[in-house]
Amino acid sequence: MSTLNLAVLAALGLALWVGSAPGATPTPPAATGIPRGADGKPDFSGIWQSLSGADYGLEPHLATKDEPPGAGVVEGDQIPYQPSALAQRAKNFAARATADPRHKCFTLGTPRGIYGSEPFQIFQRPRDLTLLFEFGHPVRTINTNGTEHPDGHIDFWLGDSRGHWDGDTLVVDVADFNGETWLDRVGDFNSDELHLVERWSYLDRNTIRYRATFEDPKVYTRPWTLEVLLYRRLEPNVQIIENYCATQDFDEYYPVPSAKQEK
Amino acid sequence: MRNCRLIRRYTRPLFLLGALVIASVTASAQGMQGWRETSFVPTPKGEWTGPRLPDGQPDVSGHWSNTIGNHNNLTDPQGPLGADDEAPQTARQNARQPRPRSQRAPSRISDPPDGQIPLQPWARAKQQEFLKFLNNPIRPEYVEPFARCAPGGPSKSFMWHGYEIRQYPGYVVFLFDSGNRVIHLDGKPHLPSNLKLWNGDSRGHWEGNSLVVDTTNNNSKARLGRTGEFVSENATIVERFTFDPFTITIPNRRITDKTPADDWNNLTFPAKHAGDEPIIEAYERVCVEGNGDHGLVVSSK
Repeated sequence: MSTLNLAVLAALGLALWVGSAPGATPTPPAATGIPRGADGKPDFSGIWQSLSGADYGLEPHLATKDEPPGAGVVEGDQIPYQPSALAQRAKNFAARATADPRHKCFTLGTPRGIYGSEPFQIFQRPRDLTLLFEFGHPVRTINTNGTEHPDGHIDFWLGDSRGHWDGDTLVVDVADFNGETWLDRVGDFNSDELHLVERWSYLDRNTIRYRATFEDPKVYTRPWTLEVLLYRRLEPNVQIIENYCATQDFDEYYPVPSAKQEK
Repeated sequence: MRNCRLIRRYTRPLFLLGALVIASVTASAQGMQGWRETSFVPTPKGEWTGPRLPDGQPDVSGHWSNTIGNHNNLTDPQGPLGADDEAPQTARQNARQPRPRSQRAPSRISDPPDGQIPLQPWARAKQQEFLKFLNNPIRPEYVEPFARCAPGGPSKSFMWHGYEIRQYPGYVVFLFDSGNRVIHLDGKPHLPSNLKLWNGDSRGHWEGNSLVVDTTNNNSKARLGRTGEFVSENATIVERFTFDPFTITIPNRRITDKTPADDWNNLTFPAKHAGDEPIIEAYERVCVEGNGDHGLVVSSK
């Protein structure tokens, strides 16, 4: 088979994969040369950041003075809101300058923290993955030790995450949300009944394909899926710098005492 | 649910309860009767004889708690917190009249031997001013930063609640209820010195059974304890976390900063591991999200 034919077949395969039906969970082609842990599983350790602009709006949107345009990250373009939820999103949008939990420095939640505008770091052990987000500096744990969600509904800001491996894809079941978070800056949202399934896989050693499928009978008419790519931050001096955003509201009250000040 | 135990640690209303849960887990694992201590013996430096991680680090991961639970007072951890505590006004305060000093835990200042930071007179006055208004913060700067969900900094974090250590090739990560610290083991240079951070910027390495951590870029706003002792933002803090495989660690700090204090050397916070629970999970660590107006009353006036 010629090199050209191989290239055509590869392109067709990629097109079929990218163009999958919404909500489907296609198995991506196996990435080669990716980092692996001692257990042989893909090792996602590193500092990652989305360039998707999804935080400015998950659905396709034009630019405003403060927000760049975006082609959207939702399969099928539109989030399938119930009519009442659509009305709530409109209220959120109208009040977004103050009502967005981001403005209160609250934890962005899951999955917004993944595609937020600041990077996050993954630390990985066989038993779990620890995600440290720069904005607000919260920590999310994805348990991969075979445990299940705890009993009862718990109102977590980040949800409760239990993952397992499907080949080289990390599949994470997230439940126990509190319904207080938003999905982006324009008021897209979910309720506390959200059930989220994430699929994390390597495209190549420096790119993660991240998919999240939403199921929330209080808010949506059917399950729907978003997808973003996460890029490894490779700058030599890159590190997650603490951004305890809320401290900026009172930072001025805590100058370090000094002898000069005393005088 | 299988083998999964969640430690419930809420934000504001149940601060104390959360700590008690951690402490009781520790006490149970250690066979202790409560967490009274009148002295402690620092863990000696030496070789690590316990298990190691695949990358060679001593395996000290898991949940830790200081040996006496939450404490506010840096130099008299189980003693009163300022004049208000010494003159109880409510039945609840009366019920927790402190024991005599000889029956209370020793100062967390291990050097000088008198257990006091040799603060210069102006600095002592500032510390006493902070302490005087701690229970009645009539100005915004008297509100203890913890009450506003600020990180505790490299000292106070070890006095309040338990904490978790997670280890990875190149990193040791401390997860506190209010903030967290990533200790870089990769020899990477510190951040530019003008970046001042609540928890500083930490670089570390292992020496036998000790994790030696160099922390710069401190904004020093958190103070060393709720009693108001402080260092300047030029302080360099060297911590020596000396671990014993039988679950005792003595984080030991040498602070280099002559601005507010004459020579002094060490802060020591003894701690114990939670033991061999199959799996312990802490609830998510959030604070500002549930803090409401707490800590903001004065500043909002």
